[in-house]
Amino acid sequence: MAINEKTSADPVRQSAPACPAQPASADPSQAVLKTTRRDFLKAGGMLSMSSLMGTAALMAQSDDAHAAIEWAEHFQKNYRLMTAEEKAEAKARLERRYSGEYGKEVTVDTTEAQPGVLMGYALNIRKCIGCRRCVHACVAENNQSRGKDRPGEKIEWIQVLRMERGKFEQEKMNHGYPEGLGIQVGGNAYTPAGQVLEGQYHYNPEKVPEEDATYMPIACMQCEKPPCVKVCPVRTTYREPDGVVVIDYNWCIGCRMCMGACPYWARRLNVTNPVLPKEEMNPVTHYLGNRPRMRGVVEKCHWCLQRSRHGRYPACVEVCPVGARKFGNLLDPESEVSKILARKNVFRLKAELNTFPKFFYFYD
Amino acid sequence: MKKIATFATVLAICGGGLYTVIAAENAAEQPATAAAPAEPLVCFESRKGASEVTQRDLKPGWPNVKCSPTTGAALWYGDPFDGTVPMGKMPGLENLPEGHALVKPRSEKLALMPLCGTSCHNGVGPQFTPPTLPKDKKPTPIPTMAGMVPDLANFQHGRDRIWCLDCHHATKRNMLVDNFGDPVSFDQPQLLCGKCHGDKLRDWRDGIHGKRIGEFASDGKKRWFTCTECHNPHNVQDGLRNKGFIQLQPEPSPQLPKGMADASHEKLHPIPQH
Repeated sequence: MAINEKTSADPVRQSAPACPAQPASADPSQAVLKTTRRDFLKAGGMLSMSSLMGTAALMAQSDDAHAAIEWAEHFQKNYRLMTAEEKAEAKARLERRYSGEYGKEVTVDTTEAQPGVLMGYALNIRKCIGCRRCVHACVAENNQSRGKDRPGEKIEWIQVLRMERGKFEQEKMNHGYPEGLGIQVGGNAYTPAGQVLEGQYHYNPEKVPEEDATYMPIACMQCEKPPCVKVCPVRTTYREPDGVVVIDYNWCIGCRMCMGACPYWARRLNVTNPVLPKEEMNPVTHYLGNRPRMRGVVEKCHWCLQRSRHGRYPACVEVCPVGARKFGNLLDPESEVSKILARKNVFRLKAELNTFPKFFYFYD
Repeated sequence: MKKIATFATVLAICGGGLYTVIAAENAAEQPATAAAPAEPLVCFESRKGASEVTQRDLKPGWPNVKCSPTTGAALWYGDPFDGTVPMGKMPGLENLPEGHALVKPRSEKLALMPLCGTSCHNGVGPQFTPPTLPKDKKPTPIPTMAGMVPDLANFQHGRDRIWCLDCHHATKRNMLVDNFGDPVSFDQPQLLCGKCHGDKLRDWRDGIHGKRIGEFASDGKKRWFTCTECHNPHNVQDGLRNKGFIQLQPEPSPQLPKGMADASHEKLHPIPQH
């Protein structure tokens, strides 16, 4: 408004009254409406014409599979709002596209949550030797980007944290007192390592486990009250009935709100175009799980939905050489996880945040 | 004009760089494809020297196992039941449906097995009928035996409280022995180990201790990893660390954050050390 007032007060403008856009009526609002309506209709007509032509062009190219797929993908609904037919259509479309892109027969599963199943996970923190085999099994299974050249091209969902082992030491008995006060307010013979979640992710010794280290793998905890779901502005991430928090990649806008909200550093953004070589691509995929992602969407662990919805253990459980990883149905009292909860010492990471993870750490 | 010139130079440099990269990749690929059919890829499963899998394609583009190029460990299972046989009779697992408990036979991997019980310890001879065994559980070291099984030179399991014939059958050396003196197959070491480690046997039976792969449902079809697939029975604790597991090479570390040459920042302790 301020700019308009300024231009109307411009002496150059005022000295040119023969301008055809000058209002004919005394009522300025009507006048403006009249002239702009013509322009508006003209522009609107042009716009609709061009969009119709664009549509026509897209429709005419419908035998070009790529264009048709792009077209359909842009207009598909949020996965939770899709009807069964729309899901089947999306599945067929994705299978066709991925099979073409990766040069092998790719299946996109849309199996729903199975009734009577609430998935749970337990990890024996005392057994973990920090070999990172779970990390790489996850990458082999879940089609993450695995480039090497540019930062952000290599995506791993599991992080293994190396923490120093704390211990009580005789020579530290007098340490930890404030100096010069003369009053003893509490000492500390304990080496305060391993007390906080500070440690090394990039450790690379010749052999693990190291003598003075403890290892703590961290991935998505599949919270019962997930902060990431609360903050998602497009509601593309949500909790499935079997307890897994999933992402409809097509509706993700890459705003990274969920990454900020997650207290477990579990979510990753595809900053670059994902690097996924054809021969390494896993052709058995799930729509909400490991189907290839695009640039600018967030991804995270989903307990290998493409496997676990069909009763199979997640990939990380199967490769753990020490059997520290346990997976099962929390509603089945005979399952591994239920028995661990009944029998072992269990804790949840950052339990004070009330996120209620279904990922439990335990020790013998 | 100057701009175009710089742009062209940049393009030329990039193009040159790209060409060398592609050329290098091609060069790296060629020997790999040439060598692949020559010898099959074998990867170890839990620990080196125990069970192994040979990689093969179940169907095009779907191998039974993927091996780590760095460490040679099994990284991903396409078929968790590859090379397995039924576990056999196991007390406490009677309720499992038939054929749902599978193991990989250990005897295939034990190189000395065909010789044991036939060549040296064949169970006949003057001192075996009736068996006269030493009373002090401190056998005289036999160089031949120690040469074949290096772990025996510094035998750790039990810290001198147990000896060979507490686990190996006295007259049938290709078998182990259970609490009642009955022979136990090398494929079922849990029946032997549970003699002393009963708590671990109970946890193993419930799936809390050890490793199982396959279907996660409590009555699902699973391959169970037996004791000796993960633990070296002659040296379980491996000295260095009290975890019952031999040290191995880790898989590569994650990508460094943008602009960081190394991860030395991680080694600075955030809490001042006393």
